[in-house]
Amino acid sequence: MSLLQNIAGGLRSLLRRKQVSQELDEELNAFLRMAAEGKMKEGMSREEALRSVRLERGNLEGAKETVRTAGWESFFETSWQDVRFGLRTLRKSPGFTAVAVLTLALGIGANTAMFSVIEGVLLSPLPYRQPDRLVVLWGNNLTLKHFISPSYPDFRDWQGGSRSLEQFAALTWQSYDLTAPGTPEHVDGKLVSSGFFSALGVNLALGREFSEEEDRHGGPPVVIISDRLRKDRFAPDSEVLNKSVVLNGVAYTIAGVLPPGFQFIDSADVYTPLGQGNPLYLDDRSVHAIFGFARLKPGVSLAQAQGDMNVVQDNIVRLYPAIDQGVGIQIETLKQVLVGDVRGTLLLLLGTVGLVLLIACANVANLLLARSAGRTREFAVRFALGANRARIIRQLVTESVLLALGGSALGLMMAKPGLDAALAAVPGGLPRAENISVNVYVLLFTFAISMAVGILFGLAPALKSSKTDLQSSLKEGGRGSTGRHHRAQNTLVVVQVALALIILVGAGLLFRSVRRLWRADPGFALQHTFTFKVGLSPTAVKTPEGQRNAFRQLTERVGEIPGVEAADLTALMPLSQRDNAGPFWVGSEAPASIAQAPRATFYWIGPDYLRVMGIPLLRGRSFTPEDTINTERVVAIDSDLARGYFSDKDPVGQTMMIPHWGSVRVVGVVGHVNHWDLADTSRYTQNQIYAPYYQLQDRWVPVFYGDMRMAVRTPLDLAAVLPAIKAAVLAMGSDQTVYDVQSMQVVASTSMSKQRLPMILLGAFAGLALLLASIGIYGVISYSIARRIHEIGIRMALGAERSDVRWLVIGQGLRLVLAGIAIGAVVTLVLAHLLSSFSSLLYGVGASDPATLGAVSLLLAVVAVVACYVPARRAMSVDPMVALRYE
Amino acid sequence: MAENSGDLVQGTLDMLILKTLALEPMHGYGISVRIEQMSQGVFRVNAGSLFVAFQRLQRAGLIKTEWKATENSRRAKYYILTEKGRKRLSSEKREWGKQVAAIARILEAS
Repeated sequence: MSLLQNIAGGLRSLLRRKQVSQELDEELNAFLRMAAEGKMKEGMSREEALRSVRLERGNLEGAKETVRTAGWESFFETSWQDVRFGLRTLRKSPGFTAVAVLTLALGIGANTAMFSVIEGVLLSPLPYRQPDRLVVLWGNNLTLKHFISPSYPDFRDWQGGSRSLEQFAALTWQSYDLTAPGTPEHVDGKLVSSGFFSALGVNLALGREFSEEEDRHGGPPVVIISDRLRKDRFAPDSEVLNKSVVLNGVAYTIAGVLPPGFQFIDSADVYTPLGQGNPLYLDDRSVHAIFGFARLKPGVSLAQAQGDMNVVQDNIVRLYPAIDQGVGIQIETLKQVLVGDVRGTLLLLLGTVGLVLLIACANVANLLLARSAGRTREFAVRFALGANRARIIRQLVTESVLLALGGSALGLMMAKPGLDAALAAVPGGLPRAENISVNVYVLLFTFAISMAVGILFGLAPALKSSKTDLQSSLKEGGRGSTGRHHRAQNTLVVVQVALALIILVGAGLLFRSVRRLWRADPGFALQHTFTFKVGLSPTAVKTPEGQRNAFRQLTERVGEIPGVEAADLTALMPLSQRDNAGPFWVGSEAPASIAQAPRATFYWIGPDYLRVMGIPLLRGRSFTPEDTINTERVVAIDSDLARGYFSDKDPVGQTMMIPHWGSVRVVGVVGHVNHWDLADTSRYTQNQIYAPYYQLQDRWVPVFYGDMRMAVRTPLDLAAVLPAIKAAVLAMGSDQTVYDVQSMQVVASTSMSKQRLPMILLGAFAGLALLLASIGIYGVISYSIARRIHEIGIRMALGAERSDVRWLVIGQGLRLVLAGIAIGAVVTLVLAHLLSSFSSLLYGVGASDPATLGAVSLLLAVVAVVACYVPARRAMSVDPMVALRYE
Repeated sequence: MAENSGDLVQGTLDMLILKTLALEPMHGYGISVRIEQMSQGVFRVNAGSLFVAFQRLQRAGLIKTEWKATENSRRAKYYILTEKGRKRLSSEKREWGKQVAAIARILEAS
């Protein structure tokens, strides 16, 4: 109650300052008058009475001030005074202000940029209803210790048995050739189960979700389209529901339209019912081809759901041991699945950028220390006039907060373009990158750090300089005491150098990793190879034989184009981040359960594919056009599989077993390719099996249609052959499209985005750190030269050579830098062992690589010498006479 | 503060002001004179402390103000004790009495 009244009273004084102040004046005047009248009654003269009242009652002006500053609201008034005074002081030294604001802008801008990434990717909730209740359900291959997609029958049984989860939904990916309305185009699509959109809590912009009747084999062809497709293909404001779009030659009726910007995992333009997908991968319990998620029921924790689902899976395993023995279940939050991979890297980068800010703060603190040394007299005078220490500290901190706010305003302006440039350099380098923006949280963060930083770098110098000894500083005539400031400044420089070294080493290690990755031999030719996809005409796609013929014809035509050395098909490309793993076994004895069979990556390829990719044939033969659906089933295996499963005999001529296909004969052994990424480490399987596309059984042909890709080898530029390829494709039918053209170089560089994005950002931060640290060294050395002019003059008068002076100055700087390097090196070595999220990014270099550390230390030392050289020259040009007369 | 004016024990000025106003509403000068008279010249209140105390009491809701004409028909700000102020005064009086008695016992103990 009284607090409220206090606040109300304070607000009243704040808002009606003039009136309150007038009232106070009037009241005090009345007081004075009445007191004087009392005295005059006792016989004093008017003047005597007034004087006596003042003596007895204290200074009334002072009383007014006391009353005015007693309430909390006066804090604002004095703060406002401080701000105005601070602005005035800063304007008086524009050079200092510009350097300080710019330095802080770099530090704060980098932090703002990095935080906006963290906010957009990690912190902001996913754009679905109660997103933290959404969980993804994986199979867990216990033999391989690897999470796998569930099979749809297993997933449906999970749904049936679960007591902890609700609103199960599943999807799989499928791309289509869209031929009407409008021009033919290839579109990405998803097959989704009937409850998919309501499980996410997303409302359609138009129309309805799929019904359960539609979500089954033989259901009517219906489609939900994206906002983009609607805008591209239909007139605005026209009715689109119940119109149709033609996908792979089939007319689909539009049942709904999605809201703008909707995406789940990745974007798609068409959604069709999952139940209408191919029964080969929907109805077979041993085919793991869907992505499934559900919602935690209210009050259920992730761990409880995991326990519940373990029981459900145990029952399934008991029912289908031949298939599911060795398959567990694993639940993860959707967010973990979407952004879990980059979490460590992003937090690491945030930490790094925090170090950059510390360096910037050290710089500004240094500047402030130097400046406050020059202001000792100002403080002494203010002390003498009755200011207390707290008041002076408050004034100084206000100044530094003003600097920080200026820096953050400028930094905000620099953050967005810098970040956009970094993200554009590594497309696809971050999940949810489209969600990154400078929003209100980012602004709050920036404001908070600038306040914190302003107090951080302002408080220490303020405490130091406010501890002025009145007598000595007034006497000293403005030269101030230098020793104390000096030590603090030197410490700050050493810290800066140490921090810069840490960041530089990190950037250097990533740079070397990326270089090693580029040089690593992936087992196939990156140069002169590109790939594209093509949409066949709907009539050709209708039958498996038609599809084979169309692809055969296409391969021939592309192969005949001048400049094309070789061209052929494949269903899977290395480094594409796609996967087609399946079980196999060697020998007659089948494993107890399919889940416990070894896994291999399967490539369905045309006969010339190995030559196109430059994958060497080590033994036996490669495929020929004579390997068809009517001849013996043959495969080629890679050297890893050969070594692992045929160690004691020649694999060529042996047979092996591939579920869903049968017994096959090994006809060749080829080189291993790095499929997962250029470094190709630590994946659950490295076995690779190649099989002829033209032996793919009829029922599987449509399943692989959307994956088929043409690989082309040519010494010419992509741009030079692409028109001929488009012409060749067009000659086969007017409604066919060439799309998704990728050079293998670009694919390889995309596969390195895990390293390249942090490399670019860390490189930028390292550059900043180096720049700021060198400014710091330069500033401290020049400041100390300015202070030591007198001493240098004496030295020179006593016969010191110019070169002696030079080494005096450079030596001083170098000592600081070497100390910083030594400390930084120790910290780096410790961090190298602690930060696994960093060392997991490295390839081919250890986290404590001595070469990198040495090179970076040398770089820092050289930069330091350069930074010292300028002030050293100034010191050398000191005229002893002038310097001595300077006093 | 003048050297002969005994320094007020911290917090007692508020109580004295409330006591003064318990008799009748009064303006600032009147209050200071009344405190001086009642203490027979022991307490001479500094204007600064007095007006800060007014502000404090007013914000705490113990007194309220009103501009009125004085006996010499001049305008002055009168301070009036609120109901809350009256209660506070009696509780502080009780507390004060207890403390004084306790201190007296301690001082006379030996």
